[in-house]
Amino acid sequence: MAPEAHVMGLFADETAAAGAVEGIKGSRWRLLRTHSPIPSRRLAEAVGVKKSPVGWFTLAGGIIGFFTGFLLAAFTAARWGLIVSGKPVVALVPFFIVGFEFTILFAVFGNVVGLILQTGLPRYRDLETYDPRLSGDQYGVVAACDAAERPALEAFFTGQGATALRAFAGEDEAGRKAHGLSHA
Amino acid sequence: MRALTFNTIDDTVLDTLRPPGWRYWLLIAALFGGVMLGAGCWLYQILVGVGVAGMNNPVHWGTYLINFVFWVGIAHSGTLISAILHLFRAGWRNPIARAAETMTVFAVCIAGLFPFIHLGRVWMVYYMLPLPNQRTLWPNFQSPLMFDVVAISTYLTVSSLFWYTGMLPDLAIIRDRAEGARKKIFTVLSLGWTGRHEQWRHYSRGYLFFAALATPLVISVHSVVSWDFALGVVPGWHTTIFAPYFVAGAIHSGLAMVLTLIIPLRRIFRYERIITVHVLESVAKTIIFTGLIVGFAYGTEFFIAWYSHNPVEMAIFQYRPTGDYAVGFWIMVVCNTLVPLLFFFKAIRTRIGWLFGISILVNIGMWYERFVIIVTSVAHDFLPYAWGLYHPSAIEFGIMIGSFSLFFFLFFLFVKHMPSVSMTEMKEIVHQGADHGA
Repeated sequence: MAPEAHVMGLFADETAAAGAVEGIKGSRWRLLRTHSPIPSRRLAEAVGVKKSPVGWFTLAGGIIGFFTGFLLAAFTAARWGLIVSGKPVVALVPFFIVGFEFTILFAVFGNVVGLILQTGLPRYRDLETYDPRLSGDQYGVVAACDAAERPALEAFFTGQGATALRAFAGEDEAGRKAHGLSHA
Repeated sequence: MRALTFNTIDDTVLDTLRPPGWRYWLLIAALFGGVMLGAGCWLYQILVGVGVAGMNNPVHWGTYLINFVFWVGIAHSGTLISAILHLFRAGWRNPIARAAETMTVFAVCIAGLFPFIHLGRVWMVYYMLPLPNQRTLWPNFQSPLMFDVVAISTYLTVSSLFWYTGMLPDLAIIRDRAEGARKKIFTVLSLGWTGRHEQWRHYSRGYLFFAALATPLVISVHSVVSWDFALGVVPGWHTTIFAPYFVAGAIHSGLAMVLTLIIPLRRIFRYERIITVHVLESVAKTIIFTGLIVGFAYGTEFFIAWYSHNPVEMAIFQYRPTGDYAVGFWIMVVCNTLVPLLFFFKAIRTRIGWLFGISILVNIGMWYERFVIIVTSVAHDFLPYAWGLYHPSAIEFGIMIGSFSLFFFLFFLFVKHMPSVSMTEMKEIVHQGADHGA
């Protein structure tokens, strides 16, 4: 397999970055990723990202939480089953409150677990192929090409309005999978 | 005035993280002294017994629970600003969301300390936890006090996670501009955040769910706190309006505390272009709204007492404005409902001095509201021969000073070492061209 180069174009403008993404998608180069200092709807549309599945983790957490809270309250009440003031041992209304609080707590835990699993954080390896300007005011588009095509890719980025370019050594297929890199 | 850009936002916020001068450390030392005073008083109480506090028959709930409710209330507007206003897409919340969230986290921590202090024998706290034991004794989950344990623990956990998650992109900004050990610390704290579209995709969704979950939580938490009182058959407490009344009061006090904190912060850190007068004005307008709700609740309580023809209920509501604690009652009414009406005047709500002064008065009024609710009801309940008065002891004052010192100690440490304004959310405002008055 021919050696691969990864080139990052930095853009001051979101629209230009989105234009570069569109251009790469229709080319022989491979779009690897984009970076932005804020969540960018335009870039997301250009890349074509799907809806995040984090909500399913949140939902699962919430359902588990409700039953955990309600059943914890019911179980502990049943362990000392004295009827007080004629009220049921397993009282629905107060135990629903415990269930509600646990619903929120576990839904948030599910949300956090979903975020960690989906984003892959913490992931410090990515910082090796990153530019600090990307957290400031620059948008980044990273694409892969054969090493011989690197000048053409750099010229493309410059033509799209890139304010700076950076090149990184390419990775093998195993490395790409580990990073969850997309294929155009 | 120059328009805000991504770089000016970063520069302004990062400037605040430069090594502080001696005045800052002097302030921190003074606050630490206050914390030590509170800790010393608590230690003394642990050694001697809870009798060193002024609580006695018939008033067993004193400043410890007053401060508990006060600090939980303060915590509420952080979530209002960060979660509820996020869902409503109110642009003016972005510059103050971080400070408000920080306030929430520290206020809940301090609120959570007070039930421990109130317990007296604090080492017995494990009785409140559902731990398996040989006597099969479990906490009573039918008790509102147990609702409170669950609700406050949940609120602290959720608000802390919400706060940290919201800070991730900002921690990456600091990492990218830091050097040496600081860079290493922020590299770890930012979890390797790089702003990839995949990260933003999940982050934005997750943040939205955080906000959606925090919104009902914040309402439930202060409702649960109100049920600590409302589920007791004590005149002045046993009423169904307590939950919304407490939630509105909590937000009222929290918004006032936001103003109290961000006005000096704005001046010291030169945040005038970020935290604009329009932002402060919007907080003031919300305070008018919450103040009116609180005023309506005060009136409703009196109306219900009169309309019920219940002599005990009527007696307590005659006692509050005319009895032993009448001064506290009138401080509460004036500071919480009448003074905020001054914000109807644009000239007042756009002047920093007025905003700051009124916010302090509302804080005082809201502390007195908790005093009036908690103390007057048990001091003057069903049986005239059991009536009595309550005065906080020096130990209680020491612990109260300690709690306020601890809050400001933590807050001032935070604002000098972490981003006190969300740079990312400010950039979103600038990017969208949304109005925050800049």
